[in-house]
Amino acid sequence: MPELDQRPKVTVEDLLRLKRAERPVPEFWSNFERELRQKQLTALLEKRPWWQEIPQFLARRAYLPVGATAILAFTLVSVKYYAPAQLAQVQVENLPAGSPVTVDRGVTAPVASVSSPLVNRSESVQSATEAAVVVSSVPVSSEASSVVVELMPLLLAPRAAETPSARLLAANLTRLEQSEGDFGQNVLNARLSAPAREQAVASAAEELASVPTNSTRRNRLLAQYGGRQLNPEPAPPAVVRERLARRLGATETSDRSNRLAREIDTFSTPMPQIVALRF
Amino acid sequence: MNLSKVFTKAIISSPERQQEADADFAVVKQVQAGDVAAFDKLILKYRERVFGVVYNLTANREDASDLAQDSFIKAFQSINRFQGHCSFFTWLYRISVNTTLSHLRKNRLRSFFSLEKLHEDGTNAEVLEQLTDKRGADRDTYLHELKEKLNEALQKLSIPHRTVITLFEIDGLSHSEIAEIMGCSEGTVRSRLHYAKQFLQGELGKYLRS
Repeated sequence: MPELDQRPKVTVEDLLRLKRAERPVPEFWSNFERELRQKQLTALLEKRPWWQEIPQFLARRAYLPVGATAILAFTLVSVKYYAPAQLAQVQVENLPAGSPVTVDRGVTAPVASVSSPLVNRSESVQSATEAAVVVSSVPVSSEASSVVVELMPLLLAPRAAETPSARLLAANLTRLEQSEGDFGQNVLNARLSAPAREQAVASAAEELASVPTNSTRRNRLLAQYGGRQLNPEPAPPAVVRERLARRLGATETSDRSNRLAREIDTFSTPMPQIVALRF
Repeated sequence: MNLSKVFTKAIISSPERQQEADADFAVVKQVQAGDVAAFDKLILKYRERVFGVVYNLTANREDASDLAQDSFIKAFQSINRFQGHCSFFTWLYRISVNTTLSHLRKNRLRSFFSLEKLHEDGTNAEVLEQLTDKRGADRDTYLHELKEKLNEALQKLSIPHRTVITLFEIDGLSHSEIAEIMGCSEGTVRSRLHYAKQFLQGELGKYLRS
């Protein structure tokens, strides 16, 4: 077709420009304006949800007060919960480098558990029991003992009325105070004069040094307090007697039930299968 | 001069556009000050262009009408956040394009044509003369078919490619303006434009003459 070939070329751009000619009729705009006005009024009247207000609130330069409040709150919470633990740790860390005393892990743990809810309670109770008597197998120096003496009221006082073990420890301390009044008083108050403190610490160190190295904690405690029982428990014979009585009672009950079952069997007609099974 | 102002000046290259942007910003300031009626000036000024963008992206006049209205409402609600870092026109286009794109993504499977009438005026008469030598009813049928094929081909493009070619070829925006509206680089815009044209050439080969 020669006529078609003579016509000027048509490109994609030309075709796309035709799209500009696709326009709505003028009446369309009056309708458009009316609908837009209605939507605009609705948008003005409707209450926006609160989460859409957050960006606007933040845009009103609320960053600084909010950030400062958050930092202040975090600081207060941190100080409230972690300051006592840090104090006790500082006391332990202040020991001389060559000190022969090894402080138990449980020494600091109960202090933290007193104030911090983040620490496991059951663990802290156990460690409080262990930390009640800070004993070391190696000889104790006077300086280290003073640290221990200073820490003991800190460990025991806050939880004295909280757990049974703490109450037990408090009772033991009271008993110790009654039996060895001076030492107990010194331990509790920790306000000895320098020579008296050295004397008390030296006697305690001698006593501790006399404990055999390979003994258990219970034996060490027994040895330290001259064989006196700090923890009153029922005597072994009583326990054995009680258990025997319980077992005897259980045997008697089972015998009675067996006898009763046999009597019932005699009155009722036993099924052959059950009889076979029983024999 | 503020850095954002320098950036705005770089984007709005032509002096006419700059004057237009300054005038728009003055109106926006009025609206921000509480003169709600001043927003009507902006609606009257941009309604056809906004409707055109949305219509060319959706190929549906009812959807385009709703989406254009929604775009103006969103712009009105967010007018206090407009700081003048770009021109109001670019900002409004961005709102319109984003509103339309989210609508298209939601209704990906539901699309049908509802096309406007093709107005023959001085600007496109020459192209139409080039396209067809038919007269009367044949010509109308031919133009109707061409319009449908053109919209079909555009709808076959992916949404980003369709957006780029609509903004560049139909609305006459620059690469930098499209890049700012779409939030991508100018290189990406050029690449998408090239691909979209190649695709349309393949689809509309019947109507092209080289």
